[in-house]
Amino acid sequence: MLKIIVPTMMLIPSTCLTATKNTWLSPTAYSAVIIILGMLVLNPGDTLMNTTGLLLGSDQISTPLLMLSCWLLPLMFMASQSSMSHNPAQQKRLFITALALLQLALMLVFMALDLMLFYTTFEATLIPTLMVIARWGSQTERLGAGLYFLLYTITSSMPLLIALLWVYNMKGTASITLLQLLPPMTLTFWTNTLLWTSLMLAFLVKIPIYGLHLWLPKAHVEAPIAGSMVLAAILLKLGGYGLLRITNLLTEQTTSSYILPLAVALWGALMTGMVCLRQTDLKSLIAYSSVSHMGLMTSSILTHNQLAPSGSMIMMVAHGLTSSMLFCLANINYERTHSRTLLLTQGVQLTAPAMTSWWLLACLTNMALPPTINFIGELTLMVSLFDWADITIFLTGLSAFITSFYTLHMFSSTQQGTLPTHIITMSPTQTREHLLMTLHSAPSIALIFMPQLMYCQ
Amino acid sequence: MMRTCRALLPRPGRRLRSGPGRLWDLPGDLQKTVSNFQNQLKENVTNLFKNPFFDEKRPPMQAEVVIAGGGVMGWSVAYWLKALEPRKNTLRVLVVERDTTYSRASTVLSVGGIRQQFSLPENIQMSRYSAYFLRTINEHLGVAGEPAIDIQFNPSGYLFLATEERAAMLEENVSIQRAEGSEVILLSPTQLKKKFPWLNTDGVALASYGLEDEGWFDPWSLLTAFRRKAISMGVHHCCGEVTSFTMAFYDTVTPTGEERTVSHIKYARIQMPDSLEYCQVACAIVVNAAGAWSRKLTEIAEVESSVSKTKQIFKLPVEPKKRYVYVWHSPDGPGLNCPMLIDTTGAYFRREGLGGNYVGGMSPAEDEEPDIQDLEVDHEFFQEKVWPKLAHRVPAFESLKVKGSWAGYYDYNTFDQNAVLGLHPTVLNMVFVTGFSGHGLQQSPAAGRAVAELILNKKFETINLSRFSADRFLSGEPVLERNIV
Repeated sequence: MLKIIVPTMMLIPSTCLTATKNTWLSPTAYSAVIIILGMLVLNPGDTLMNTTGLLLGSDQISTPLLMLSCWLLPLMFMASQSSMSHNPAQQKRLFITALALLQLALMLVFMALDLMLFYTTFEATLIPTLMVIARWGSQTERLGAGLYFLLYTITSSMPLLIALLWVYNMKGTASITLLQLLPPMTLTFWTNTLLWTSLMLAFLVKIPIYGLHLWLPKAHVEAPIAGSMVLAAILLKLGGYGLLRITNLLTEQTTSSYILPLAVALWGALMTGMVCLRQTDLKSLIAYSSVSHMGLMTSSILTHNQLAPSGSMIMMVAHGLTSSMLFCLANINYERTHSRTLLLTQGVQLTAPAMTSWWLLACLTNMALPPTINFIGELTLMVSLFDWADITIFLTGLSAFITSFYTLHMFSSTQQGTLPTHIITMSPTQTREHLLMTLHSAPSIALIFMPQLMYCQ
Repeated sequence: MMRTCRALLPRPGRRLRSGPGRLWDLPGDLQKTVSNFQNQLKENVTNLFKNPFFDEKRPPMQAEVVIAGGGVMGWSVAYWLKALEPRKNTLRVLVVERDTTYSRASTVLSVGGIRQQFSLPENIQMSRYSAYFLRTINEHLGVAGEPAIDIQFNPSGYLFLATEERAAMLEENVSIQRAEGSEVILLSPTQLKKKFPWLNTDGVALASYGLEDEGWFDPWSLLTAFRRKAISMGVHHCCGEVTSFTMAFYDTVTPTGEERTVSHIKYARIQMPDSLEYCQVACAIVVNAAGAWSRKLTEIAEVESSVSKTKQIFKLPVEPKKRYVYVWHSPDGPGLNCPMLIDTTGAYFRREGLGGNYVGGMSPAEDEEPDIQDLEVDHEFFQEKVWPKLAHRVPAFESLKVKGSWAGYYDYNTFDQNAVLGLHPTVLNMVFVTGFSGHGLQQSPAAGRAVAELILNKKFETINLSRFSADRFLSGEPVLERNIV
């Protein structure tokens, strides 16, 4: 575990000390090496955790997400190169440092075996993200966006802290490995619901669930490209990861309070899909589509079905790659036209046909086209919901239909249609951008044929 | 002293009050306390939601459309962009104006006339649309909770006088105007004399008189109405000057095979007033609504192309030209029955208000163009050139007293004195809405709508103004108007 934590920590001094002409090259190459180290280090077995001590270990739930976050770090550096080019060298280094700190916190979250370490690093991911959004975002609204992001997460995780301390008190241990081996408690007090809610709320806000999702469109739209990528790909999955851990470990007691978030999340998947149809801002559209996908995942996890963890792992990796790819494509458009609205960036197939193929690939995976891993994930989640209750098939089917509706609408609005005369000539696509798209889609495609790559086996 | 104190001690029959008794008015007090509390709460809550980081003076860091120029054209485009966008908040529009006192802007120094008596169908259609807009202005520009707009439209009509040589052309123009649906009639000298007894019909062979939708209105009201409505719809504005652009250049080949360097504005740099500070705004489209200073703005956008290998192919032929306007008082003048009269010599005047004041002037001859450095008025021009002609036409004007005068700029299109509406040939995302040469104010609602349609729908929809595109300067075909005032 230290094999990837210490290099990530050392990324910060090495960035600050490299020459200015290597400001982007050095961290990108360095973080690529960290990916390889990660793949060597993490290979979880079947049941117990692959641990090297009391605090850090990896499981079959955490390994895919760890690999995803390691994979995305060089991609984030590559994506931010052009938009950060006019900043002075010191600020570029500061940006890279913020992202590296975020990466460190994320790795510790996913590897944490102690509930307190988990909570601390869960909260610690907020600070670098807030720095990135509030400092390098491009509108005045980024400050409100940062505020929403911070306050939603902090408010909902305060009860989480208390609940985790209570669990430690009751069970005598805060270690996740040990907690999953203990017999379940049967609590029949009225505080059962309170405990359950306080444990769930932080993760439901993070995922986000439909009613508590207001921070997400703001944060995604106002963040710079690297911020959007990491938010959509990883930070949302923090909620999913936490949800999986908590439902596995601590809430074996029967409670009927899981039905409400399940229903709200499922309904929300449908509602946010319909909101997407009316969006005029491209990034906002992609942000709402994230809510839709994550809603399906939440409701599936809450059914406590056996298929849910495997379905949600595939879904998390697939959605992370797809969503991040869509944000990169939106940013490529934005850098050329300085406009995010679908109205003014129509018909770019004529000026940048190479990007059209990447747009098509991203939109097809977003729509969960077979045989992509998005499809497998979504199908598994739908089956687990169907197993729980037959009637959910209507909602999940309708939400899948609406997903394809708005995704194709997004594709045809940006690629086809009359090209406005003011973007007839756009600067040509760069190799860096094509590399970025390749590195997003290659793991997706590789995982179709070898899903066990996710677990580094 | 002891006596006084004892007098104040409570005694039977003496109350402790020192003043006259007040009835305890519970309902009234409660009412007042509650309303005080409500006002305080409202104030605190509004302050709570005001973003402490929001800076009203500085522009946003990114805006889809940056409109350089805050005159009536700029605000009209801003209003129509917001009115015609398919969903709310699709576009972020920024209007940049460097002088919020509008001390030199053509809009507020305009005489404010509106006429349909043009010879180009497009001009007539634009004025007719604008007249309809002005008639229904409160439907379009009314803001809930604010007082209704009073544009002070005087529908007194325009009266063009023509000599023998120009009578045929006047008649042709009137037939074009009537074909477009304007209510214009031709008057012979006898009819003129009957209708306007104060008029001297010497040398007049024919006259055309607009019966409907012609007259004058208050330009300042229109400007503030557009501004207020646009701001209420979410248009951003800032006070500053667009000093430079950050551009990207590409080499392309035109359909005819020649090589050309085109460019794309990426950022607009706006200098804040009275300071060295500047702000960069990332923009998708820049609208050149700078009026008399449009050429300067275009040159800022083209400045780098002069160092590239292809020579500069385009020079916007819009120049500021100074025009004087004089106000005089004539008690025996035409009175209320006074249209905007355009004499055969080019001198014009109209009634101003109801107290016997008149406003008028004349376009100077080609070789007498006044200096454009400042807005100083040449009174000699009135004494020697304008007054004799007016006095000849209206005998009552032989005795008048000049009350005041001012000067304003025409954004004069030296090529053909008509609007320039459309995209720049080489700077791909600059849109012109300038060059109106004196009839801009009256065409502003229609022109604003046309530009907004061009930006949003990529073509003109309501009125086809493609004849006014900037390409005509390259091909060399002027679109001339025969009725130039």
